[in-house]
Amino acid sequence: MSNTKTAYQKPIPLKDIDNAPYWDAADKHELALQKCDDCNAYSQPPGPTCAKCGSENVSWEQFGDDIQATVYSYVVSYRPFLPGFQDELPTIIALAQLDKVPEVKIMGNILNCEEKDLKIGMPIQMTWVDITEDRALPQWIPTAN
Amino acid sequence: MGNINNRYAIVGVGESARSRKSGTTPLHLALDAAKAAIADAGLKATDIDGFMNYNEGDSCTSHQLATYLGVRPKYVKDIQGGGASTEMLIGDAIALIESGALNTVLIYRSMNGSSGTRVGRGYDPDMLQGALSGGSFVIPYGSASPSQWFGMFATRHMHETGITKEHLGHVCLSFYEHAQRNPKAFLHGKPLTMENYLATPDISSPFNIHDSCLELDEGNAIIVTSAERAKDCTSTPVYIKGMSIRQCHPHAHYWNDIDVVASDYVAEEVYKNAGVTPDDIDVASIYDCFSWVVLRQLEAYGFAKRGEVGEFVAQGNLKIGGKLPTNTAGGMLSEGYTHGMNNAIEIVRQLRHEYKGTDRQVENCKTGLLTGWAGPDIAGAIILQN
Repeated sequence: MSNTKTAYQKPIPLKDIDNAPYWDAADKHELALQKCDDCNAYSQPPGPTCAKCGSENVSWEQFGDDIQATVYSYVVSYRPFLPGFQDELPTIIALAQLDKVPEVKIMGNILNCEEKDLKIGMPIQMTWVDITEDRALPQWIPTAN
Repeated sequence: MGNINNRYAIVGVGESARSRKSGTTPLHLALDAAKAAIADAGLKATDIDGFMNYNEGDSCTSHQLATYLGVRPKYVKDIQGGGASTEMLIGDAIALIESGALNTVLIYRSMNGSSGTRVGRGYDPDMLQGALSGGSFVIPYGSASPSQWFGMFATRHMHETGITKEHLGHVCLSFYEHAQRNPKAFLHGKPLTMENYLATPDISSPFNIHDSCLELDEGNAIIVTSAERAKDCTSTPVYIKGMSIRQCHPHAHYWNDIDVVASDYVAEEVYKNAGVTPDDIDVASIYDCFSWVVLRQLEAYGFAKRGEVGEFVAQGNLKIGGKLPTNTAGGMLSEGYTHGMNNAIEIVRQLRHEYKGTDRQVENCKTGLLTGWAGPDIAGAIILQN
């Protein structure tokens, strides 16, 4: 792990005043989602207020580390458009539909997946990749049968 | 929006040369386009009292363009934008003319889109995380190109509706065929066959290079004025019968729901405002940053039912001679790319019957539909008549 920090070339998620609880949870290998206390809508990506009704009464719900989902849609990317992706082509970028909260889709790469096996609706689970000493990136892998 | 039915018109259109490497600045390209549009209208530069453009920080300002046309206008305006900005600025121009503030407005888009700033490339990743809504949930996963953003939408829509890669190919083939009739199209002389299309590897699935718009250096301009003032112009006015613009999804690059796009709402309103139906549309300019975007809009604007759009294009309906001749100069896939304005210029020329007597003219066309698409989140549409 000692070389990870210098080796990681891809963009690292920037924490800001609105999204920090999501990335703080990710660093602990857990999922947290922003939820509106007035209209009960989840906001993904999170923001300063509820993106559905504009309410300022938003809070964070913890979902732990067992996150099951299915592939809602995907892109197979054969060309790198950002640094760090050039050595891992093709890259699978997917929207994961959460089993527990189907209205929420979380973007990520599907790791350990052959392009030919990739299908809309396939079960996937969240995993966390340690990208620096103190940061972890939520990713997805096919759910083991 | 109030009733503007045929009270405003596009009276001038023009473009600069288009190339991979202009060797000049966006200001020079904008001057070329503006002078061509002003000459086309039969106006003097000093007749223009409003200048507007949309850009991505890659152009000259309206102030600069007016200055070097020798004009000191009443009004200059530059907005950050792309798809659907043409329609939005036409709306702004109409509102300002309606209010009595202005008489005649020139709208332009000028960019070195190939030799200068290329869309979706070369930006600092940390800047993008802040600049895009929800950017830190997108950029770390390698998604920075419109081909990836719209590819995500396309994959799901194709899964739900049965649209195939061949159907995407028919959109490309139709527009490339039009480009072969247009000597000014960038891909004139480069016809496309289905065999070649299908043999071309994807860049971001389901899109290959043919599914993706061109990236070029060029400037385009259009002139909007009142129907009354249009009588003073030497060109044949093309009237604005109705329009609609709107935003829907909460985030431009992150979608929790891809069932609905802004075009779905815009379609309903534009037909209502113009008092026409899809059956009345003789010619169309449909925003085509990617082939699939055309298919989704054909569904939205009611030219074929959901699930039947692929068959509609496979039957050749987008070609001249089909039910809905579309992007008849080649569109952004094969003519040029200015975030939609080249398609606006072409539909004006069609409705003027400027190509009469050639195989480029959609015969006797009277009513046209122009659409803009910034993404699933923002759309604009205008119905035009001669």
